[in-house]
Amino acid sequence: MMILASFIDLVSSAGLAGVIMLGLGTVFAIVLLIAHEKLKVEVDPKIVQIHEALPNLDCGACGFAGCGGYAKGVLENPELIGRCAPGGPEVANKIAEILNLQVSSEGPPQRPIVHCRAHTGDKTYYAEYHGIASCTAANALANVQACKFGCLGFGDCVRACKFDALHIVDGLATVDYSKCTGCTACSKACPRNLIEMVPFGHENMMTVACSSRESGKVTRSMCQVGCIGCGLCAKQSDAFAVENNLARMNYAQYAPCGENEAALNKCPTGVIVYRGKTAPAPREPKAKKPAATKA
Amino acid sequence: MDTVYILITGFISVVLINNLVLTKFLGICPYLGVSGRIDMAFGMGLAVTFVMTLSGTLTWMIDHFLLMPLGLEVARYVCFILVIASAVQLVEMYLRKFFPPLYDSFGIFLPLITTNCAILGLCLFLNLWGVNSLIEAVVLSFGGGIGFTMAICIMAGIRENLQMVDVPECLQGAPITLITAGILSLAFMGFAGMI
Repeated sequence: MMILASFIDLVSSAGLAGVIMLGLGTVFAIVLLIAHEKLKVEVDPKIVQIHEALPNLDCGACGFAGCGGYAKGVLENPELIGRCAPGGPEVANKIAEILNLQVSSEGPPQRPIVHCRAHTGDKTYYAEYHGIASCTAANALANVQACKFGCLGFGDCVRACKFDALHIVDGLATVDYSKCTGCTACSKACPRNLIEMVPFGHENMMTVACSSRESGKVTRSMCQVGCIGCGLCAKQSDAFAVENNLARMNYAQYAPCGENEAALNKCPTGVIVYRGKTAPAPREPKAKKPAATKA
Repeated sequence: MDTVYILITGFISVVLINNLVLTKFLGICPYLGVSGRIDMAFGMGLAVTFVMTLSGTLTWMIDHFLLMPLGLEVARYVCFILVIASAVQLVEMYLRKFFPPLYDSFGIFLPLITTNCAILGLCLFLNLWGVNSLIEAVVLSFGGGIGFTMAICIMAGIRENLQMVDVPECLQGAPITLITAGILSLAFMGFAGMI
């Protein structure tokens, strides 16, 4: 009987508490409802539409903090259409449709190219690095590896990539072009500025995978597969030009033709390679001629 | 005259001597989180003051006219949180409508006023201090808000100056902020026993 009585007591007082909570809750709900109606903020429906059209990855490739910021920005300044790298031309067209605009030029998508092709075995090291495993930290140290321009292989770009499209393969940052969205995060992350955003007009692009501006002799002494600035490629094809001991491809001029193919085959160090979804493996460097000995 | 004297001493007490942040260590989250710039800190202080005054008054009324006569003191926490959450919602809507830049700069810290323990702490202290009149409750909750604003503004001022100081590398960021907060608390201990 005692237990029953205390139980009834508990239920009756708890019921009162419940009623009070319910009453308070209702009062506040009504107050907030009125406030919500009175203090409504009109948001441009176009912003909502644009935001829905965006991929919502918040990658920051457009220069805004997230997709919400870009949606606002692009409405105020329609010149920013096409900044959404993961969305590409599709999203640009959708935004243009919402804003009643025509997108004039649809360039090829931008994709990153790593301007280095030296794997661990190709590089020369003066010492072993046992510091913080980050390229930015390693780059602050002189002579981490012989080549001051090449890929350090600690994967700052890999950590920057939100799409799992970059991996360190045997000491070299390698782009998986089937996953890449062209968000430019990797090119910003690389402390040696090795990763360049390139208009990818074809499935595979030819490129000079080296950034060494050292003279040919010095480059050769440090790396098996560096560009020595010999200019053989520029003689074969107009798409190549040598500047500061370094050959560079003019990507706008590139087309898969015989001249470029010849340049690739002539290259003494094999630094001209294909990059892309179905790129063939890079060529081996030609055997170094034995240096002419003084008689 | 007597009531006025009690109100003034109560106000000074809650601002300086029993400052919620510096002596009770409540509301540390926004105190360290939003004290980077003095204008933002001031805005945050005002928002907290508003919420604190509103919820302190309302909770005192609910406590005295509803919960205590019915012997439902156990339901205090739930009721108080309900009041605070509603007040924060109100402030959020108001700021979004009339001060959009401030609303944007607050970000997550504005809804987080809901869980600002300084506010719930003050609502519970009003009962603990034995506040018996409505006007006293209003003045004390307003004073609590002013005390918070003062503390966060002092902190923001110091932190703005710290930006230009060569802080040892191991103390940069959060450690120097916590040390500053500690020294500030020590300084405010000097007010103890003033009234």
